[in-house]
Amino acid sequence: MAEQPVIELLELTKSFSSGAFVQNRSFALGPVSITVNSGEVVGILGESGSGKSTVANVIMRLTGFDEGSYHFRGADVRAFTKADSFAFKSKVQIIFQDPYGSLNPRATVGASIREALILHKRHLSRAQMDARVRELLAEVGLGSEDPGRYPHEFSGGQRQRIAIARALAVEPEVLVCDEPLSSLDVSIQAQVLELFKSLIEHRNLTMVFISHDLNVSRLLCDRVYVMHKGKVVEKGIAQEVLTNPQHDYTRQLLEAVY
Amino acid sequence: MMTAPAPEMTTETDPAMTPLLDLSDVTIALRQNDRKMVTGVSLSVMPREVFGIVGESGSGKTLFTRTVFGLHEDTYLAGGTVRFNGRALPLNGYRRAIKKMLGKEIGYIPQDPYSSLNPSMRVGRQLTEALYLSKGYPMRSQKAQDAAVALLAEVGIPEPELAFRQYPDQFSGGMRQRIVIAIALSQDPELMIADEPTTALDAFTQRRIMDLILERSRTRGLAVLLISHNLELLRQSVDRLGVLYGGQLLNVAATADIGAREIHPYTQALFDCVPGRDKRLADIASIPGEPVGAGFGTTGCAFAGRCAFAQDICRSAPLVTNTDRGTGFSACVLGKGARHG
Repeated sequence: MAEQPVIELLELTKSFSSGAFVQNRSFALGPVSITVNSGEVVGILGESGSGKSTVANVIMRLTGFDEGSYHFRGADVRAFTKADSFAFKSKVQIIFQDPYGSLNPRATVGASIREALILHKRHLSRAQMDARVRELLAEVGLGSEDPGRYPHEFSGGQRQRIAIARALAVEPEVLVCDEPLSSLDVSIQAQVLELFKSLIEHRNLTMVFISHDLNVSRLLCDRVYVMHKGKVVEKGIAQEVLTNPQHDYTRQLLEAVY
Repeated sequence: MMTAPAPEMTTETDPAMTPLLDLSDVTIALRQNDRKMVTGVSLSVMPREVFGIVGESGSGKTLFTRTVFGLHEDTYLAGGTVRFNGRALPLNGYRRAIKKMLGKEIGYIPQDPYSSLNPSMRVGRQLTEALYLSKGYPMRSQKAQDAAVALLAEVGIPEPELAFRQYPDQFSGGMRQRIVIAIALSQDPELMIADEPTTALDAFTQRRIMDLILERSRTRGLAVLLISHNLELLRQSVDRLGVLYGGQLLNVAATADIGAREIHPYTQALFDCVPGRDKRLADIASIPGEPVGAGFGTTGCAFAGRCAFAQDICRSAPLVTNTDRGTGFSACVLGKGARHG
């Protein structure tokens, strides 16, 4: 039971220097404490401006933080060496909201995925890499001719599948998903939701699911943190928090969503 | 087979039964190449009714709305009839005719509250301008100012006198959308068009703006045509729902029937995709394949390629249109969801 969490944020804070044009907005995160255990799907929920994407960026180490600590598998990320940082990048992968902006438009889909393999799976031969690319695309439901095509030839849902395949290429321990469904149409959203469901089952993925969609989160997450104005206002088992919330904010949010 | 009309079907002269907006076989084409994007749409919105139109992106719902209400320059009404309060609008010069009604009988709430107000004009002046155009109140008169402040209060803007003198950028998205609604209401319209009015807003604001629109509709006896991609939002807000797919009107259903009775297979499939409040993961079923875009045409059902029930006839039979414009309609040639069979 005392297994070490994969991600542990403790009393973490982050403030932004507000520019001359920004007024009346709280730009501080935290202090927040968030733990993600191995094999768990953890939802970070909130409205826009709640700080949930900042949490994603801190976890990805795309942005730094001020106070508190961030441990990845027990190791303080602030003490990471260059080699640690490089290894970290293959252990934690992210999928962004916008599948149009997250793929290089001038690279074929196969080349985009192979790039990740070349960086992090150098021991593979070229033929092995090609086979791996096809396997990954098949896993997310794409065809065998697709590696040679360019991102613009795909629809939004397919591009999001490609982004998922690319993230999985390096066999990450943690997949951070920042609003991965919200730019998709409902019929496509349900398809990608099913894909996530099967990935969670088959790959035993640890997932951080950043979302404002409480209904999707209730279906997908084991545990959730509800954020408001940079702080966690409620946390717990997804099913319990999102059906019988204890905090006023969560209750109001649940009443507001359709 | 049809016998005498049911007792509740009254004659055309009954004002309660004359549709406010009546579309018959409306076809919309692109000016550029005359390609028909939206085909054979027949539906009617009754007085005081809140009617929704749902569609995925590319289904033609925005094209449809913007063309029918004269807001689109690249498309035109290529066929069919549009009646407002029983009066048919001419097909020739349609856009000019409908634009004259926009801002008078018909109010319009656009999607993006950030770009629909003039940023360099005070809120008060934008309202008094609208009041001048629709009611002829002199813009600087006390009468116009009082009416404007009353409208701001009506849409729930705190301190309306202060808001009157402020600029749009001093308001949040939700407050701006309220101002836009106030402008639309200033003309005392009979029909309010709301094209994705809450898509740019967060969950709390979305709910409040929807509540405001519905509450104003009830109080003022205003009919509302609400366009959205959000089936769940529409299901909880409107009386009846038109479903567009590939530029075809596939279904008109009472929202109470969704999830309760047989409806058109596409509407049902769409509902099964939505992760609603009471659903479990097992209840969610996706639709295979990709949505087809508007402009599918009139041969076969646009949804046939993704439909679980599809047969050969679905791909070849001409599109079924809602000619009698009863309360419900299903374009399914297999008869699924047809309540009046």
